[in-house]
Amino acid sequence: MKTTMMAAALAAGFGGMAQADANDVKLQLQWVTQAQFAGYYVALDEGFYDEEGLNVTILPGGPDIAPPQVLAGGGADVMLNWMPSALAAREKGLPVVNIAQPFKSSGLMLTCWKDTGITSVEDFKGKTIGVWFFGNEYPFLSWMSQAGISTDGGEDGVTVLKQGFNVDPLLQRQADCISTMTYNEYGQVLDAGIPADELVTFKYEEQGVATLEDGIYALEQNLEDPEFVDKMVRFVRASMKGWKWAEENPEAAAMIVLDNDETGAQTEAAQIRMMGEVAKLTAGSNGALDEADYQRTVDTLLAGGSDPVISAAPTGAWTSVITDAALK
Amino acid sequence: MIYVVFAVLLWVSGWMLNVRLANGPHAQSRSIQLLVPAIFGLTILLIWELIVRGLSVPLVILPPPSMIAGRFAGSLPILWQDFVQTFVKGALSGYVIGCAAAFILAIVVDRFDFLRRGLLPVGNFMAALPIVGTAPILVMWFGFDWQSKAAVVVVMVFFPVLVNTVAGLRDTSDMQRDLMRTYGASYSQTLMKLRLPAAMPFIFNGLKIATTLALVGAIVAEFFGSPTRGMGFRISTSVGQLALDMVWAEIVVAALAGSFFYGAIALFERGVTFWHPSQRK
Repeated sequence: MKTTMMAAALAAGFGGMAQADANDVKLQLQWVTQAQFAGYYVALDEGFYDEEGLNVTILPGGPDIAPPQVLAGGGADVMLNWMPSALAAREKGLPVVNIAQPFKSSGLMLTCWKDTGITSVEDFKGKTIGVWFFGNEYPFLSWMSQAGISTDGGEDGVTVLKQGFNVDPLLQRQADCISTMTYNEYGQVLDAGIPADELVTFKYEEQGVATLEDGIYALEQNLEDPEFVDKMVRFVRASMKGWKWAEENPEAAAMIVLDNDETGAQTEAAQIRMMGEVAKLTAGSNGALDEADYQRTVDTLLAGGSDPVISAAPTGAWTSVITDAALK
Repeated sequence: MIYVVFAVLLWVSGWMLNVRLANGPHAQSRSIQLLVPAIFGLTILLIWELIVRGLSVPLVILPPPSMIAGRFAGSLPILWQDFVQTFVKGALSGYVIGCAAAFILAIVVDRFDFLRRGLLPVGNFMAALPIVGTAPILVMWFGFDWQSKAAVVVVMVFFPVLVNTVAGLRDTSDMQRDLMRTYGASYSQTLMKLRLPAAMPFIFNGLKIATTLALVGAIVAEFFGSPTRGMGFRISTSVGQLALDMVWAEIVVAALAGSFFYGAIALFERGVTFWHPSQRK
């Protein structure tokens, strides 16, 4: 009943486009065009998608675009998302499934002023920390919950600021620490003139609270359609080819990303630096999700204690069907 | 499917009932005047509920009213905390400061004509600044907490109240001002006894417009940086978490707050401008 009605309504609307659908893929990125998504742009420009007979449209994201919502509304066929956000969406009733995991390790970290005297997690108490939201808050909340530090402020807790997607709270001293990515915001702090020896960083990977980041997700009901599955197999194969090409040719990949940047806001130096750092995160993955990594992410999220990101171990949240066929 | 049929039947019957009541013999009575919109509102809520359940609309697209009501009832402490942060600390303080500043400036502008010609265009320009551009700048200047939200509200309410007050102060006719002159009234006596009371309808017009702007300004300003409380914060992060029922619960709070704020100013207006034709029953 549930899917029949929705499918009937959608089919009535998209009846005319049925034929073209078999090779069209719309990919919703998590953020604006940048080297974090180089693999897909490389696959587009180097013709890997064309070789598979696919017509791929890459939709850049931005500050107020939540990829799960775009997927739910039918605006895209696949999305990129961090696993905590995708698992939380799954619990909220949006059945997204991980079909590939190009990013093996996490680039998330907290960057603090050294003069705040913070040297370990315990020193976070009583400090102000900038945290991104819109799906990116889960690793932090999980970490604080595991460390037993409340996020409500006060002497024994951390005061959380909803950080915009920039590094201003650190520069303006409105926060003691901010969330940064190894490949993006950390470089922005250095570019702002802060020498690295005035900063102290905490990488989530080193703290043992890292969660899987950029993964490719699709809706469960779409994965029941063999035509869609075939489309996804070709898409993942070409995308991973793009990623491996980007890892071997970081500067060329950065230039391809710049060519595709419609806003003109990205700079060559920043993108080359970003590609170099992203290559470290995608190295070691051929696209298939490693179950041990998945389990580590789930365990980190479930260990949240009083404020868990997800309340129960998810079932059916990932599938190897696509990657098994793509990487044969 | 049965739910959808039921929803259509409900819609038709609600409509017929309201038409019958509105055209009936007691249409002018107070109770009927309250009942008709109440029936309309209730019908809408019931149709919403039945259609969402009947068509199994995903929760991330539109939750049913029963779920929203449940979330509302279950999150009262959070909603209250958000309300105090956004409405009381952000919107109200900005409203008071902005309206007071605009009022005082309007009196000064009225006194000195060259100021009116100079300052009104500047005020016009300030009003045209998009809030999505000014909010991040004000957050940078005033910090993440309620002060920057109050600043945004000040910028937003300043111009409407200024323009309305200036227009109101000019509303007295020559005859009335000449009469005060014949009585030997000084500038301030004319101001307090004639021109300000005559300007009150205009001033309240501006104040009522400012109530909606204040609430919108405070909520939107929170999208650009806030501590982890506040209606704008809750709405934007709940959208990110796909907790649409919380978004709707916050919308209900905002609607209630906005309606009461507007109603309070309107009630105050009725007391002050009792003499004005618009207050006749």
